[in-house]
Amino acid sequence: MVTLAIDTSTKVCTVALVKGDEVIASYEANIGLTHSEALMVQIDQLFTESKTDFDQISKIAVSIGPGSFTGLRIGLATAEAMAYSWKCELCGVNTLKALAYNIQEENILLAPVLDAQKGNYYLALYTWQQGKLIEKQAVEVVSKEELFTKIASYGMKTILLGECDKLVDSLKAEISLASEDVRMPKATSVAQAANAGSTVSGKEVFGITPYYIRKSEAEELWEKKQQALQSEQ
Amino acid sequence: MGKDIYILGIESSCDETAAAVVRNGREVLSNVISSQIDTHQKFGGVVPEIASRKHIENIMPVIDEALNKANVTLAQIDAIAVTYGPGLVGALLVGLSAAKALAWANKIPLIGVNHLEGHVFANFLNDQTLEPPFLALVVSGGHTALMKVLSYNSFELLGQTRDDAAGEAFDKIARVMGLPYPGGPEIEKLAKAGNPEAIDFPRAMLDEKFQFSFSGMKSAVINYLHKEEQGKRDVNKADVAASFQKAIVDVLVQKTVLALKATGLKEVVLAGGVSANNTLQNELAKAAEKVGARLVHPTPILCTDNAVMIACRGYYLHQAGVKSPLELNANPGLKLE
Repeated sequence: MVTLAIDTSTKVCTVALVKGDEVIASYEANIGLTHSEALMVQIDQLFTESKTDFDQISKIAVSIGPGSFTGLRIGLATAEAMAYSWKCELCGVNTLKALAYNIQEENILLAPVLDAQKGNYYLALYTWQQGKLIEKQAVEVVSKEELFTKIASYGMKTILLGECDKLVDSLKAEISLASEDVRMPKATSVAQAANAGSTVSGKEVFGITPYYIRKSEAEELWEKKQQALQSEQ
Repeated sequence: MGKDIYILGIESSCDETAAAVVRNGREVLSNVISSQIDTHQKFGGVVPEIASRKHIENIMPVIDEALNKANVTLAQIDAIAVTYGPGLVGALLVGLSAAKALAWANKIPLIGVNHLEGHVFANFLNDQTLEPPFLALVVSGGHTALMKVLSYNSFELLGQTRDDAAGEAFDKIARVMGLPYPGGPEIEKLAKAGNPEAIDFPRAMLDEKFQFSFSGMKSAVINYLHKEEQGKRDVNKADVAASFQKAIVDVLVQKTVLALKATGLKEVVLAGGVSANNTLQNELAKAAEKVGARLVHPTPILCTDNAVMIACRGYYLHQAGVKSPLELNANPGLKLE
């Protein structure tokens, strides 16, 4: 039984077909195309070139966040429509957790980060112990300073993954960037994370929503205004 | 008559998530609309990010309901028609992504539909006898245009607005007057109690015959309201609403009559959100009759955004052998051509 995995949470568009531990085919592109233009074409190629039939698919795994709001919705809408058509299982995978599957090494603190805009980052911390992924810290929105304070508190050799380019000037000893080939999301990792069971599963494929973490700006402003009004009264 | 053709239509360009199944282009089997009006009301207008979030929650349940209500399965659907513009890009992308994946996963054609053409085609579902050629007046929050529909797949744009759309002017004035969103229907409600002749707002009749301009009229209404406020005079809001509505309707009706005379067409259809305005429907019907033409307009449910009209438009594109590629992108600024 084959898992189709999709990650469109960043500017990288990546898809994979995975059967157990075996990667049948995978694809990742960072070629400046929008996900709307690239995603379906990539999926189509993946099936055609690997000669995979639709009825072999038993599960669809998709990155549901954190990440680019629009990107997440394109991936999820695509995955939902396929799961609905093929009546197969749909799994939503935490983007940062999937990133931790890119580097499966022990005795290292893995720090996947994604740009949360306005100088903030989505950050989670993981380690690998005896082949199992351990979550040291769940996803949080942190400033650059907070990010390095959090990491330092573990006193471990640390690898930053994800959208960490802008952190390169602030690197301290013991902290390095993941090498480029494993830095950004990989659909194969999304499939692995899904198959390891660390997922949100949909009720009749409809129950999954993106893991935005942050409210929309309009809602944040509106709530601030309500609070201000209340404190005036 | 050959085999029945079933089209699944999907629409998510603004604040309604909609799906519908239409048989042979004209027979509505289901029409499901999940409206977000309540969600956006407290913000005084549509918030794009919130609209997109609602769409992703609603899109598959709405599609599922449309298929169930039509009592058809995906296997019976011949093609998927989806709005790819104009509209809010993030909102469009939800419906478009789902539509592409559905079409591909079921090995059926994907047909990208221009939302504005969809509005024009809503009239085919109301009037089974309607056939091209005819004149179309498209009036919505984003567009005001006169178009010749020569055949099902060939149109000729006669003219459009240079600045604000008629619906935009309605919404803006409603906001300045403190009326809730969406403003158009609120103005119409208020206008019922007012005198349309009370205030003479300017009507811009441009030299170019079929072009519109509403920004001058909009400013005149806003200036009037400000002046009365500064002078501490009580404003009769109903009179303002009625006079403003009359000014807009006058321009739309006069230009449409000009176009009917110039083209010799005997039928005119109304399309877009503002086509739900009763005063516009009545005035245009009367004026068209005077020049020997007939007005067709959609029922209220088909005036607002819906997927039935997208499925209908998709049917005629399907009949013409039109298919969209998998790389089809959303086009927020898509125009009528």
